[in-house]
Amino acid sequence: MLIAFIAALVTLVVAAIVVVAVLFLRNRSKSANLSVNKNVRPISSVGVSSSLGDAGGRVGGGTPRSSAAAQRPVANPADNLRSRFVAMGVLAAAVFGSLTAKLWSMQVLSSESYVSESEENQYATVSTPAPRGLIYDAAGVALVKNRSSLTVLADSEVADDHDVLQRLSTVLGLPYNVVRQRIQDTSTGAQSQRVVAGDVRLRDVAFIAEHSDAFKNVTVQTRTVREYPYGGLAAHVLGYTGAVSEEELAAVPEGRDIELGDDVGKTGIEQFYDRLLSGDHGQRKVVADASGNVVEVVSETQPTKGSDLYLTIKAPVQYVCDRALANLVAPVNGVIGTGKGVSASAVVMDVRDGGIVAMASYPTFAPEKFIGGITTEAWELYSSDEAYNPLLNRAIGGLYPPASTFKAFTSLAALAYGFANGGTTWNCTGSWDGWDTGIPQRCWNHSGHGTLDLRGGIVNSCDVVFYDIAKQFWEHGESQGGSIADTALQDYLKKYRFGETTGIDLFGESSGRVPTPDWKAEWFRNQPEEARWQGGDMTNMIIGQGYVLATPLQLAVAYGAVATGNIMKPHLLKEVHNAAGDVAASFEPEVLDVPDVPAENLATVRDALRGVATENAGIAALFNRYGVQAACKTGTAEHTDDEDTAWFACYAPYDDPRYVVACLVEHGGGGSAVAAPLGAEILAAALAYDEGSLTEVGEIAGSTGKSDVHASGGSGGRTD
Amino acid sequence: MPQLPEISSVKTSNGAVRQPARERRFPWLNLPFIIVITCVVAYGLVIVYSAVRGQEDYSFSRQAAGVAVGAVLMMLVWRFDYRKLSDFTTLFLIVNVVLILSPHIPGLGTDAGMGAQSWIKLGIQVQPGELAKVTVILLDASIVARYGGRLDDPREYCKALGIMLVPFLCIMTQPDLGTGLVYLFIAAVALVVGGARPKFLLITLVAGIAAVAAVFALDEVLATRNADGTVEYKLLKNYQRARLLVFLDPELDPTGDGYNLKQAQIAIGSGGLFGKGLFQGTQHSLGLLPEAQTDFIFCVLAEELGFFGVMVLLALYAALVLICFNIARSAGDLFGTVVVMCVVGMWLFQILENIGMDCGLMPITGIPLPFVSYGSSGMVLNFVMLGMIGSVWTHNVSKR
Repeated sequence: MLIAFIAALVTLVVAAIVVVAVLFLRNRSKSANLSVNKNVRPISSVGVSSSLGDAGGRVGGGTPRSSAAAQRPVANPADNLRSRFVAMGVLAAAVFGSLTAKLWSMQVLSSESYVSESEENQYATVSTPAPRGLIYDAAGVALVKNRSSLTVLADSEVADDHDVLQRLSTVLGLPYNVVRQRIQDTSTGAQSQRVVAGDVRLRDVAFIAEHSDAFKNVTVQTRTVREYPYGGLAAHVLGYTGAVSEEELAAVPEGRDIELGDDVGKTGIEQFYDRLLSGDHGQRKVVADASGNVVEVVSETQPTKGSDLYLTIKAPVQYVCDRALANLVAPVNGVIGTGKGVSASAVVMDVRDGGIVAMASYPTFAPEKFIGGITTEAWELYSSDEAYNPLLNRAIGGLYPPASTFKAFTSLAALAYGFANGGTTWNCTGSWDGWDTGIPQRCWNHSGHGTLDLRGGIVNSCDVVFYDIAKQFWEHGESQGGSIADTALQDYLKKYRFGETTGIDLFGESSGRVPTPDWKAEWFRNQPEEARWQGGDMTNMIIGQGYVLATPLQLAVAYGAVATGNIMKPHLLKEVHNAAGDVAASFEPEVLDVPDVPAENLATVRDALRGVATENAGIAALFNRYGVQAACKTGTAEHTDDEDTAWFACYAPYDDPRYVVACLVEHGGGGSAVAAPLGAEILAAALAYDEGSLTEVGEIAGSTGKSDVHASGGSGGRTD
Repeated sequence: MPQLPEISSVKTSNGAVRQPARERRFPWLNLPFIIVITCVVAYGLVIVYSAVRGQEDYSFSRQAAGVAVGAVLMMLVWRFDYRKLSDFTTLFLIVNVVLILSPHIPGLGTDAGMGAQSWIKLGIQVQPGELAKVTVILLDASIVARYGGRLDDPREYCKALGIMLVPFLCIMTQPDLGTGLVYLFIAAVALVVGGARPKFLLITLVAGIAAVAAVFALDEVLATRNADGTVEYKLLKNYQRARLLVFLDPELDPTGDGYNLKQAQIAIGSGGLFGKGLFQGTQHSLGLLPEAQTDFIFCVLAEELGFFGVMVLLALYAALVLICFNIARSAGDLFGTVVVMCVVGMWLFQILENIGMDCGLMPITGIPLPFVSYGSSGMVLNFVMLGMIGSVWTHNVSKR
């Protein structure tokens, strides 16, 4: 600081020193050689001035001067005066000289660099955001469109400006606190300007523009925003967009240009195919003044709209799914708990090419709430406990024990290892104590199924049959002195891709879990007494309970593989249309794997699944109502302290499979009572769409964030 | 500088040679002086016109009205015999103190928003610190005139210096460092021209530097540290410190004061040899130049008319300074000489500080460029100064 001040005064000090030095030098030269000529003139002038001065009554001027001249002729005032004039002249010369030199160096010598800086100042390149591509269903029904919206934005400091807040509140018709809250809201991330209101009326915008002095740091933009004609229809598949966050800006993928303030896909298809949907920015070279107002547009390149996406989703089928889930879980005013369960999910897949026809998850959300940054109130609503996480896509991200739906695959394993064949029979007494613990494990049917073969075990979903098969796997394991691997059952299940992601074109897919001795040792590493793999783990796993976890999508893909023999990669994207409207790419079906399963084993299991659909009176009645020839399996996951979770997996037509459906109602009750009607309705809808008898598409509402779970009426125990 | 030879040939000749000039019809008329000030004022008006065009808060006609009022006042002052003022040292001191401290009077002073209490409101807003420049010059001149050009007694020197420092100390209560420096410079010129011994001047200079250092050292001790880590200094305000720091390194704060300085330098540098053309300055018209009408008006000239336009202004200033030097030398009494030299010294300091700050030679302070910066009261004041110089010229004509 001290240095700063001294440096600031350097010019002055140097000038002053020069003056003083000149005074010294002049004095010296004067006293050294008195020039007569120079002496005479000043004295005469002093004489005239002093005499006149005395006459004019100037006391201070005349008298001392003449006496001084008498006493010290060498240092007479006029003589001094002359040297002082020289000093002042030197000062003036120094001032003009230094300024001239500095200006010469700036304006002539290094002018060029200043000129380029001036031009940089003058021209600004503004990029205009490109409209995102639209999203259609398989038949070209627009699921996501664009519209323009007049948006009022404010800098964050407006939050502290009471007057501007008050005016915004009045003009926009919003409560004062809401305006302030939105400006304080930081959830829009890197964007420095906060959205105060979207879809503002033109006359309000005009008022703000005319009174820009009264609305300091408030700007109005015309933005292209997303429009959702059907509200929350397929919301989890489509996802939502939002302003780019700082993390996303820091890690921009190659080939994608994102700028501050851009909208990017945050979830679903919007996120997965963000690069296709986003398009390219336009560039405008403009002359802008200091406050950023555009004075003149110098050149402009138009933005390129993003590509349009056609999905494999069929909107009418999707609508049936979304509507059925909502009506099942929250039929009264959207309050969870007025129906069955707390959440539900359904997946419909075309088994021939893996295309996802419908994918629904309830509770759901309204993607338009995210336009221009989600409001605090909407965010609080969606994140409350009562809302049961409406943003989670349970079809790919929800993990549940698959329960008896798993028996189709454990049966195939039993057949493959010879622990069961067409002639093997079991006797179910309602309980089973194969481990001789004295505490028997129970079949869901406590009174017993009597004598059954494997097909009967699947049709009746008899647990005792599978307990015994599990015991066979256990006893033939290496660690028990047997000849097959300890994880032979798990390895077989993994053929159907349990425990790994399916690779669908969405982010956020869970891989599920197939428990193994190694997994258990790791999971319970802090509780060694729990970590040992036991026979009970096998009997739990074989009926899809215990530690097994799967997503509805995994189950759909696996049942599709039972139906056709091929594991198809599930996908949502059908075609990409570029900005000109031409098909730029279309999705090719991909067979992930063909499990090595003997045809007769598959036929046995398919026959048993067909039996589930025809020999259980309730389920047979469901499919008969729709006239659908289906094969299916129910599942009821039991929870020790909560309502059962209902599962249903089915495909149709039985002899020429086209669609597979997997659906789930969390804590909704028994599989055949709760999930089966849902699955049958959805499967029938998929087939009806192909016949052209299903065309209706309607609007789906987002979560209300309300629940009343205690009123839940789960319909009794297991019936599978 | 084309005028120089002509003017010096007229004025540097001694009384005997100039005898025939007495036969002129208007002996009080100093034609070169009138021509040069007309040129400076006209040139300044052109620059102001360019700077205020398209600005709602500034009006060119107000500036022109300032010139008109100033010209009338100049005539009145010109006719007034300055010698009548040489004895009123005590009166000037009182007027100065009252004038400079008047913004502190409740109900009269207003805070112009710069953190300094330096304005008063009397129907129109005036800066008494600006008006006081006239009385400060008269005060300083009347003090040194008492000693008749021989200030070689240390006690008397200290007494004179002490009185001269009073206006400075008063203005620092507002605080207004820029105007305070002008007062100091006026006092320095008065002491030099008034015949103070060089030794005294040197000692004063060293003592001044030591005092500044002491102020800074004391400031570090007195500074209070706020809870949020910022330091609040008592003696030198934070914004003054910032301006000094930015002077050292303009990159330090490119959006605040450093931004101003950077934009000012870009405007000057991009003007080049011949400028972008009158009314064509992009830095100015795009609003990139802050306070382009007042403190940074020189940048408008430099950008639009380039190095040549700048040199014309400097040449006019130099001519004015030289003519005034000659008027000062021809004055028959020390009071008149010191008054003229103090006015010239003040202008020189303002030119150096204003232009110097624009091109980065001097720290940023709000000192106007004489006859050019927007502001009608400043214009009127400068015309009063011109009137004082004219008075010195006219009332010594008979003795030449």
